[in-house]
Amino acid sequence: MSTAYNLSASPHTRDGLTTQRIMWTVVAALAPVTIMGVWYYGFHAFLVLLVSVATAVASEYAFCMFCRKPVTISDGSAVITGLLLALSLAPSVPLYVPLCGSMFAILVAKCCFGGLGKNFINPALAGRCFVLISFSSTVSSYKVDGITSATPMMTMRAGRAVSITQMFLGRTNAVIGSCILALLIGGLALWVLDIINGDIVLSVLISFTIFLVVFGGQGVDPKFLLAHLCGGGVMMGAFFMATDYTTSPVTRPGRILYGALIGILGAMFRVFSSVPDAFSYSIIISNLFVPLIDIFVVPKPYAYRKEAMALQRGEPKKNLLQRIPVPVMVLAVITLVSGFALSGVFTMTKSTIEEQKLLANSASYQAVIPAAQTFETDDDLERLLSEVGGDVYGSDFGRVTINSAVAGKDADGCLAGTAISVTSAEGFDGDITLTVGIDPEGRVTGISFTALNETPGMGMRADEPAFKDQFAGKKVDAFVLNGKTESDANIDSVSGASTTSGAVVNAVNAALDFYRMAKGGTQP
Amino acid sequence: MVGNSFRGGVHPKECKERSRDVPLRSADPKGDLVFLLGQHIGTPARPVVKKNDPVLAGQILAEADGFVSAHVICSCSGTVKALEKRRTVSGRMMDCIVIQNDGEYRCTGNWDKRDEFTALRTEEILSRVKAAGIIGLGGAGFPTHVKLAPKNPQAIRYVIVNGTECEPWLTCNDQLMRTNAAEIADGLEVMLALFPNAEGVVCIEDNKPEAAAAMQKAVSGRQKMRVQVLPTKYSQGGEHSLIRVISGIDYPADMLPADVGCLVDNVGTVYAIGRAVLYGEPLLSHVMTVSGDAVSHPGNFWVREGTGFRDLLEAAGGLKEGAEPKKILAGGPMMGIAMGSLDVPVQRNNNGLTLLLTDDNEAAEKQATACLRCGRCLPTCPAGLLPQMMAAAYEAGDLDRFEKKLYGMECVLCGSCTFICPAKRPLTQMFRQAKAEIQTARRIRAAGGEK
Ligand code: SF4
Ligand code: SF4
Repeated sequence: MSTAYNLSASPHTRDGLTTQRIMWTVVAALAPVTIMGVWYYGFHAFLVLLVSVATAVASEYAFCMFCRKPVTISDGSAVITGLLLALSLAPSVPLYVPLCGSMFAILVAKCCFGGLGKNFINPALAGRCFVLISFSSTVSSYKVDGITSATPMMTMRAGRAVSITQMFLGRTNAVIGSCILALLIGGLALWVLDIINGDIVLSVLISFTIFLVVFGGQGVDPKFLLAHLCGGGVMMGAFFMATDYTTSPVTRPGRILYGALIGILGAMFRVFSSVPDAFSYSIIISNLFVPLIDIFVVPKPYAYRKEAMALQRGEPKKNLLQRIPVPVMVLAVITLVSGFALSGVFTMTKSTIEEQKLLANSASYQAVIPAAQTFETDDDLERLLSEVGGDVYGSDFGRVTINSAVAGKDADGCLAGTAISVTSAEGFDGDITLTVGIDPEGRVTGISFTALNETPGMGMRADEPAFKDQFAGKKVDAFVLNGKTESDANIDSVSGASTTSGAVVNAVNAALDFYRMAKGGTQP
Repeated sequence: MVGNSFRGGVHPKECKERSRDVPLRSADPKGDLVFLLGQHIGTPARPVVKKNDPVLAGQILAEADGFVSAHVICSCSGTVKALEKRRTVSGRMMDCIVIQNDGEYRCTGNWDKRDEFTALRTEEILSRVKAAGIIGLGGAGFPTHVKLAPKNPQAIRYVIVNGTECEPWLTCNDQLMRTNAAEIADGLEVMLALFPNAEGVVCIEDNKPEAAAAMQKAVSGRQKMRVQVLPTKYSQGGEHSLIRVISGIDYPADMLPADVGCLVDNVGTVYAIGRAVLYGEPLLSHVMTVSGDAVSHPGNFWVREGTGFRDLLEAAGGLKEGAEPKKILAGGPMMGIAMGSLDVPVQRNNNGLTLLLTDDNEAAEKQATACLRCGRCLPTCPAGLLPQMMAAAYEAGDLDRFEKKLYGMECVLCGSCTFICPAKRPLTQMFRQAKAEIQTARRIRAAGGEK
């Protein structure tokens, strides 16, 4: 029997999880989104991925050789950096973009700061920002099949709706790694396997959502919130970038703080600024706070916490309420109060805005039906209003919508006329909103503009009596602009402003049509 | 009912299947027996025998010297062969008494008459415990009669009997509880007689249902004691962990369990206390497990103190055919001590012999990478320390930060952080070093102050 036994200090056994296992598990978790990206965006996306990963690995290898350090590429961290960088690029970028990005990420952001475990900003994000700044126009153009178009984030910023289902499946015009479903599969798997830290993910997502609810101006609108959560790299950031070990704090409170910082910064950039890629910046900025967090957020050992020390002195155990630390309670109260205050301000301003609208409207109602004393809603009108419900009205009037319709009553309560507010989106310079008055016989009593932003001296002259008064006192089926035959229906265009004039005529015709429909279809 | 757990902890492979159902047997050695004079914490014992003296099992070889000290008691019959320095488990040479074993095991008494202890006064109970030479059979080897005499016995609220056995591979306490439950309960009853306001709690991990059932049966009908089943998790059996679970109190390293109204003793110790007070039997042997993947017939044994580890291995059928163990441990793999040789004597606080074919530490050195800052080591620490930062401070040579800002002296060296670290960093090992350096510095400062 040999007697040369190994000596060592305890413990003598180790868990099976190694650095390599962790890194390769992360790579595996990125596989679904990578596959979806290549499948949807095609071969060029594959090339982008390939170049990025290969460059990352080669750069690390070269650096290690150059500095005569042990070669660390087998730990898989370079592969992750390359993958993450490529996944956050547009599928159509020229190949020199992932090449430069990857080199910057590995050589400058990672190796120069001491390699794995020492770099202070996420290498993949650093690489991404590097290419964003260096090749900004190429990098931020998103093309599918050679056609440049808007990303979901741009669409949202322009105030239009996006399809959450399409975003979820990654069938939009965004970065290679945009399939939310695949990201979630990989991210949740990592969470379940305890590879990434759920504290960070949750605190990023929760703080992001709360900020949007409070300041996003849409309240708790699931569609709006989901669209924001699914777009612009939030999921990728929360699951794969914010959780990067090296660039996040190590303590639990530190991690929650760091996650909240990312979430709030990200949402703030979304709401108050129009930079693209705001989420990347919010992570990078938060990365810079990590050393600070690690210095100042140092929890005490259990035995030195207040509660434990009281127990050691033999004081009785506190109940649940007493155990909530005072700062937490104060914070909770402040949050609640400011939340209420904010929402109060919001509802108050909201109602004043609506009142003002009503006032403006009633002035224009009065202008077109001078005989009326009061204006009331009318069942027939309301029914039809709810049917056409804000959509483009009819097919003959261009992009016209009916806003409101009320009945004006005289002093005896008899019908003095009907006022209909119409908007045409086909003005020379945006929307034109006007009110049309129609007396009980179906005669137009007059028109009055509530919104007119046309060219001064040209379109704006539609508001002058010479044009406006042409409509008054006429009973026609539809007005005609510059009609060839002599007729009541003829309206002379404002000179040099035929677009404006046409839009006004269409709007008035739409109001007349709406009126006839409401009053039981006395159509010709 | 499974009770709360302490915070932190890890789940190493339990590896208990090989020996958990093997009943206790006695392992009587053939060779010489070696007794350390200083195996307990405190002043080493003073020898009272000379070379060539004939001795019997149960005879005192060396007497307790001072208050914190314990008797050394012979566990076989024979003659005193030598009083000399021998190599011990720790690898150091220490003063020992060597007995030539005649193999007859004649005793100074037969210890089969049960005494009633209810009439005994506290001092009498303590003196019987002291006479039996009992020291803590699990941890550091603190003399039990000292531990049982805290400043204020009225303030003790819990007497905790540690039957958790959270160390991988070891199963001897499991077997002891299965077969000797009534005697353990007797021992606890004796201890409770010393502490009028205390409740006795036997803590057992939920991977030992048979032992828990046996103990449950043994305590039912007795006053002021209960069995508490705890979740299986390593370092459950640590003194701090148990006290936290039972009393809810976290206490710092410079406080004693008694300061927070608790007292923790291993099941083996409690068994020995019962035997000593009720039957007058000295502590001659204690239970140990011999296991590991290199052992041919792992099992649980009554081991006489002073037995050589090599004799113990023979009792378990020796090594497996062709097996070449890389590592031999006194104890289990989490807190055991790696030994360079089997030719050292068993001490009273050894609870196992584990022979392993593979050396995880050797493999770990090859796999080691830089710290990833993954944060895994933090939540495993039962004391709520920050191993990642402590290691960084130690490596930067900043012992001041280690001690003051990060409370490094609170580390109980449980090994959980090292176990879990994916970068295979020797954290516990660094902390042991750091603590030793800080203690040395303190001593030097104290000595300088006296001048
Ligand atoms: S060895 Fe020390 S620092 Fe590490 S887990 Fe155990 S008590 Fe905590
Ligand atoms: S577990 Fe190891 S790698 Fe992770 S933070 Fe702790 S020391 Fe660093």
